[in-house]
Formats: sequence, C-alpha cells, structure tokens
Amino acid sequence: MRLNPVLHILGQLLQVVSISMILPLLCGIYYHENESYIFLLCILITLIAGTSLKLLFKEENIRLIEGFSVVSFCWIIIPIFGSLPLYLSGNISFIDAYFETISGFTTTGASVISNVEILPKCILFWRSFTIWLGGIGIVVLALVILPALSVGGRQIFLPEQSGPKLDKLKPQVREVGKIIYGVYIFFTCAQIFLLVLSGMNLFDASCHSFGALGTGGFSTKNTSIGFYNSLKIESVIILFMFLGATSFSLHYTALRGKITYLKDSEFVLYLSILAFSILLVTLDISYQLHENLSVAFRHAIFNVVSISSTTGYATTDFNLWPDFSKLILIILMLIGGCAGGTAGAIKVVRILLLVKVSLRELYKIIHPNAIFQIKLNGKIIPEDILQGVGGFYFLYMITFGLCSLIMLAFGNDLLTSISSVATTLGGVGPGLSLVGPMATYGFLPSIPKLVLCFCMLAGRLELITLFALFIPSYWKE
Amino acid sequence: MMIGISMIFPLIWAFYYREKEIIVFIISIIATFLSGFVLSEIKSQDEGLRLIEGLGVVSLGWAAFSAFGALPFFLSGTLGYLDAYFETMSGFTTTGATVIQNIDILPKSIIFWRAMTQWIGGMGIIVLAVAILPALSIGGMQLFNAESPGPKIDKLKPQVRDTAKILYGVYLIFTAVEIILLIIGGMGFFDASCYTFSTLATGGFSTKNLSVAYYNNPFIEGVIILFMYVSGANFMLHYAALKGKIEYFKNKEFLFYSAIITSSIIIIAADLRYSVYTNIIDAIRYSSFQVVSIITTTGFVSSNFDAYPALSRMILLLLMFIGGCACSTGGGIKNIRILILLKYFYREIYQFIHPNAILAIKVGEDTISDDVIKGIMGFFIGYISIFIIATVLVTSYGIDLITSISSVATTLGNVGPGMGLVGPMYTFSFLPNFVKIVLTFCMWAGRLEIFSVMILFMPDFWKE
Repeated sequence: MRLNPVLHILGQLLQVVSISMILPLLCGIYYHENESYIFLLCILITLIAGTSLKLLFKEENIRLIEGFSVVSFCWIIIPIFGSLPLYLSGNISFIDAYFETISGFTTTGASVISNVEILPKCILFWRSFTIWLGGIGIVVLALVILPALSVGGRQIFLPEQSGPKLDKLKPQVREVGKIIYGVYIFFTCAQIFLLVLSGMNLFDASCHSFGALGTGGFSTKNTSIGFYNSLKIESVIILFMFLGATSFSLHYTALRGKITYLKDSEFVLYLSILAFSILLVTLDISYQLHENLSVAFRHAIFNVVSISSTTGYATTDFNLWPDFSKLILIILMLIGGCAGGTAGAIKVVRILLLVKVSLRELYKIIHPNAIFQIKLNGKIIPEDILQGVGGFYFLYMITFGLCSLIMLAFGNDLLTSISSVATTLGGVGPGLSLVGPMATYGFLPSIPKLVLCFCMLAGRLELITLFALFIPSYWKE
Repeated sequence: MMIGISMIFPLIWAFYYREKEIIVFIISIIATFLSGFVLSEIKSQDEGLRLIEGLGVVSLGWAAFSAFGALPFFLSGTLGYLDAYFETMSGFTTTGATVIQNIDILPKSIIFWRAMTQWIGGMGIIVLAVAILPALSIGGMQLFNAESPGPKIDKLKPQVRDTAKILYGVYLIFTAVEIILLIIGGMGFFDASCYTFSTLATGGFSTKNLSVAYYNNPFIEGVIILFMYVSGANFMLHYAALKGKIEYFKNKEFLFYSAIITSSIIIIAADLRYSVYTNIIDAIRYSSFQVVSIITTTGFVSSNFDAYPALSRMILLLLMFIGGCACSTGGGIKNIRILILLKYFYREIYQFIHPNAILAIKVGEDTISDDVIKGIMGFFIGYISIFIIATVLVTSYGIDLITSISSVATTLGNVGPGMGLVGPMYTFSFLPNFVKIVLTFCMWAGRLEIFSVMILFMPDFWKE
C-alpha cells in the first residue's frame, strides 16, 4: 500500500469538511452566537491541514486496496478535525468530543451530552450535519467501494460487473456518487419541507432531517422526538428513517419512474421483519403495561422503525418496556437495515443469505448427492460471496462478544454492556439500562468510550476494512 | 428394550434399600418391554438401516426413550408427566437441568435412575458423534470421517457396533476408575456411582441439593474436575492413549480446548479475587471447578456462580456456547468448529488484502475442505437462530432477559444450571409449561447437533 495517494485524497476530503463548516458558521452568525468565531478557527485549521496534506503528497491513481485505506483513514481522522468545534466551545473533554463526532460521522447517534438544549445552535447544527455528511459517505461506500473490494460478500451489489475493475477507482465513484448525492439531497429537502409543514421551525427541521435520513439520530431536544408529541412529525420521520434504511439504488430507479421495490427480496424481507416486530411489540406493551392499543401501536411503530433503521430517535423511554420488547429491540439492533442504505449492522440481505445457506445444509443431509444453488432475486449467488457473508457474520458475533466482555470488565452491568456494544456496532445510538434512550454515554470511563468508538468505526466500515489495518502484510508496498 | 433392561439396576437398588418404589420400576419395565416388543415386531423384516434412516431413528429414539424413561418419576408421584419428561430428557441429553426442588427427600432408586439416564445418554452420544454424524456430514463433522473407520456407504449396523464397542470399553474403564477415586475421597458407594455417571456423561445431576458444594472437599472436587475435563475431550484420543499412543498434545482441538479453559480460569480467578474471595487459593479452586464444569457442559456447582461479578458470569455464558470437543460427551458448538471458524475468518481478512492468494485452512496436518467449512457455517447459523428464536419465545412469557438468555443457552448447550431465576441454587420447576416444552426441545436439538432434529421437520425426509 502506498501512503502518498491515500494522504492526498484525505487532504482533499478535509478541504470538503472545512468548506462544509461554513454552514454552521452562517447559522451561528444568523443567531448572533459567540461560538461563531470557533468555527472560523476550525475552518482555518482544517483547511490548512487539508491543503498541506494535498500539497505534500503527490496525486497518483489509486488501486483498490488503497481505496479502502482511504475509507478507514477518513473515518478515523476526519472526526478528529470534526470534534474541534465541540472541544473548543468548552464544557467537554477531547475524548468526549471525539466520541460525539465519531458517533455523528458513523451515523450512530450515541451521545455523551446530557443536556443538549443549552448548547449553542451552531454547535447543534454541526452535530447533526456530521451525520448527514457521514450518511452520504456511507452510501457511496456501500454501493461503490465495498462491492468492488468484495467485503463480506458485498460483491452481489456490483451492478452487472460494470463496477470498478481492478485499477481505476475514481471515475466510477464520481459517477455513481453524483447520482446518489442527487437522491440524497432531494430526500433531505423533501423532509425539511414536510417537517416545517408539520409545525417544526426551520432549524429543528433541518437538524432532524439530517438525523433521520443519515439514520443517525442526534436530536436538538433532550427527550428526542418525544418532545413534540405530534403525530404528523412522527409519521414524517418514520417515513424518512425507513427510506434512509433501504437501498438508495432502489430509490434512484423509483425516482426515474420504475417502482421495483416489491421485486427486491431484501426489501420485502425487511418490510416483513418490521411488520412482525411492530405487531409483537404493540401486543406486548398494551398487554404488559396496560396501555391503550393505539398508543401502544404509535410508540411501537416509531421506536421499532427507529431502532431497526439504526437511527435511534425515541418517542418514549423504551428502557421501561417489558423484557420481551427489549429483546426484540436488541435483535433488531443486530439485524439492522438494508444494504445500500445508510443503516448499519449485519444487514437484512446477509441474514437472508445466511438462512438460505443454513437450509441448504439441511437439504444436503437428506439429498446427499444433489447440488443446490442459492438464488437471490432470481440470480445465482456464487460460493465465494456466501463464504464472505458467513465470515462476516461470524466476525460480527466475535467482535460483539469480545467488546461486551471488555465493557463488563469495567464493572458495567450485563444489559448495559451487551446493549451498548450492540447499539454502537450497529450504528443505532441509544441502548438499554444505563445507556437507555433517555440517558447518555457521558458517565462511562475513557477506555469503555474508546472501545465503543472502535465498535462504531468497525461496524460502519463492515469490520474487515478496519481489521485489515491490524495485519502487518497490509502495510507492505 | 435397552431402556427396559437398564431399569433393572435401579430396581436392584430399590430392593436393596427396601423402598416402596419397587412396584413403580416393575411396571415401567413391563411397559417399556411391551412397547419395545411391539415396535420390533412391526419392522420384523429387519432391513439394514440406511444412514439417513439411522439418523431418524436416533433423533426420534431420544424423544421416545425419554417418554419411557419418564415413567418412574411419574408413577412414583415425584413429578407430573411434563416435569418427568423434562427431567428425563435432561438426563438422556446429559444436560442436568432439573425441576426437582428437593432432591434429598427422593427415594434412592429414583435418584439412581436419574443419574443413570445420563450415563446411558452419554453412551448414545458417543456413537452419534463417532459414527453417525461424520458419515452423514452433519455440521462439518465429515472431518472425522478419515480418522475413524466410520461406515461409508449404506449399511449402518456392523461398523457402528465395532467403533461403539471400543469406545464403550473406554467409557466403562473411566467409570470404574472414577467410582474408586471418589470412594477414596470419602463418598459412599451410592453417591460415588451417581456422581460418576453424571461426570462421565457431562450431565450434572447430583444426589444433593447443593451439588458438589455439599462435600466441600478439595479432593473430591479435584477428581470431578479431572473427569469432567477428560469427558469433554475427544474419546478417540483417550482410546489411542489407552493403547499407548499419547496424542493429546498433537491434537489442535485438544490444545485449543485446554487454552480456553486455562485462560478463562485465570480471568475468572482474578475477577473473583477482587470481589468475592479474599484468598487467591479459594478463587482458583472455585473458578477452576466452575469453568471446567461449564465448558464441558456438565453443570456441577461448587459455589453459587450466579453471585459472581458480571464479567465472570458473561465468560461462563460464552463457555456454554463453546462446549466440549467433538467425539466427547460434551455439548455446545464444540471447540473444533470454533477453531475452524476462527481460522476461516483470518483467511477472509488475509484474502481481502491479497485477493489473488489461495490459502488452505489447516488444522494440524489436515487441510479442511470447503464442504466442511460450509457445514460448520450452516451449523453455527442454525445454532444461533434456534438460540434467538427460543429466547424470544421464553421472554414472551414475561420471564426476565438474563433468565431467558441463560436458560436457552444452558439447555441448548446441554449444560444444566443457568443464571437469574434458573441459577445454580434454583430449579426450572417454576417455569410455565410452554417454556418447559421449549427448553426440552432445546435440549433435544442441542444434543443432536440441530440438524438431526431439524430434518424431522422437513417434508422431504418423510418421503420414501
């Protein structure tokens, strides 16, 4: 791997970040906040760092393997610069600021800030905007870079082998990127518009749109969406969380007039998982907590979609739900949304393939001489993809187990540890027990925070991309 | 019919102790013999079993044996029929999860029968693991086909007998040795045999409410740790050792198994030293007993591990999933599968960096074929899926998360005690009937390596 081109691209991206900090700066100036000068400072620092990286290291055509080091590096280094505004505005330590920003860029939405309502508006805006930036990066990552690198069986999404071949990564990224940016920006505007119509002010509407579409989940209120207690706002957010968690290439074809949603088995499975979970949770809450059925349904649908799309908004403290519903939420955290969206975790399509692999083994026992091929949407899935998916699943479970052990070693209780790892690995945000939706991660010691930062990164980068960094031969030329 | 014969043993005990349960066993024996006789009349043509049918016989056999094995508990009035079935299934699958709240007041003959079900179950498992699973390539176990002279093509019966005979010999020798050692350690002959049956089969039924903690005797604990450890390891290795070839340290699975045990003991001992015990010796004594007891899926208890700190409990929970070695009486996912999966994902990462490299996965000298890996992967997914579905079912009855998760993990891995309300100092008796049925199913499915039970639910299996 050559560091030159990697650092060159990193420099370019830092420039983009510095430019995007102009928005919160404008926001600060508009609201006459003192923190505006911080953004001015941060823009300068980031711009200088970016430009010097770009000038110091030569541009070269990058190879695939370097393409994904760009990805890993970006998600580790950009949050360092992104956390500057939070850190410089005082109040929180650098680790906290880094946690918060990683949580934004990985569209997790786990927060260490216990009272967000006293924060200056420009900081809040920047916090939500990191999610939006992260989300767009992820869609490109998911649809272009990971398939080309065959991470965890991602090759399925290479559109008819027209994807990037071995050498030139850039042109393809730009092309697909542009289309997706279009869809993404279109959805953002639509959502801001709808939220304003439902009675939010423009500022809150934009922050929540960034949060919902990026499936992040930072809110501008302490009680999250529960603050508004408005049916309209909830439905708009449910819709866009759902859209954010489903494949953007489906949205793209739909916007061009071809509705192909129901032909996609992943989409259909995702829809049925959602419907089934909502049904079970509704029954459970109304039965165990003696809630009115319609109230129960309203809470169930919002929070189930929020968790399963790995957003993490809440309308109620689901930590107070019965254990049955909590377990369903934990399982949803592990499953996550569809591939090709902004959602995290294992992804529905992988679950679908895994079930098929498992069933095939069963058939093989009964018919030892038959040959079975696994199909998805009518296409035969090659064996190496299936192996990739299996490896990914196993790796995910191991990471989940080990990180939970580390959390436990720091004296956290079982439910807090398990749910905090599940939620950060899946990019959801709130967990259960001490890190529930109405609590924050602020009380944790530094090392568990770093472990969770690692989980957010690992989950977001589909594990293998990050783990490869630990293998010595990766760093050789 | 074998079950009927084996019920004669508790009958002898009953005569010996002059208990009124004699009549119960006599009735059970007669009932079992009669139905065994009727069944063998039905298939009197005695066709050679095909492999797949053999598997069906084994799976159904486990369920049916338990139905008859439950008779003594039921007829003696100790338990209701569902509870009796749960208890017997727990015995035959060598789980050791119990619904009997007070064991101390039970008649000796019933206690003996309870311990004996495990011992019989253990024998069945060895045949299953050595002969049937490899031959049918279940869950990647064709891996052991080359090492063991497993049946190749069609007729199951003769070769199963050969392999089984050898291993039964090993099993009997160990049983005798452990009984003698426990008697030296100060147990009575009755208790010594019950504990031995439990240990060798990695079951975990005890004759005392307090399990092994009752004796509070380091020598007895040491003996039991040794034999649990031995029973959790591959019996083919023991056979080789008895023939004079010590191959333990050449076997990667055995090394991996020992490494997991050692590291878990160290972590838990350190964790206990800072919380429960002030004395490092005590911490090591209790942690080594508990770790070996859980990983071998025995489930004996020498201290209440549910009162351990969260880290130790989580490690024990993970050990329930790992389980013993292949071709042992232990349950769980098995060490060899975990080892291969670990190597496999290292290869995934390596190939990711070097896309053109071809790397074979090796365990010891043997190269692992892709079919084995697929089998193991399918097994792993199946195991986790059943775990999740069963946990969801259990929580839906309003049972708390820790209890649900651990009760499913413990029954699926055939361990015995769980945590929370099914912790080592409690029993499974308070659970609603439906949950007991789910857990009984988990024991059954876990013991028969998931797939053997799952095929019974496939329509294709029942076609000619």
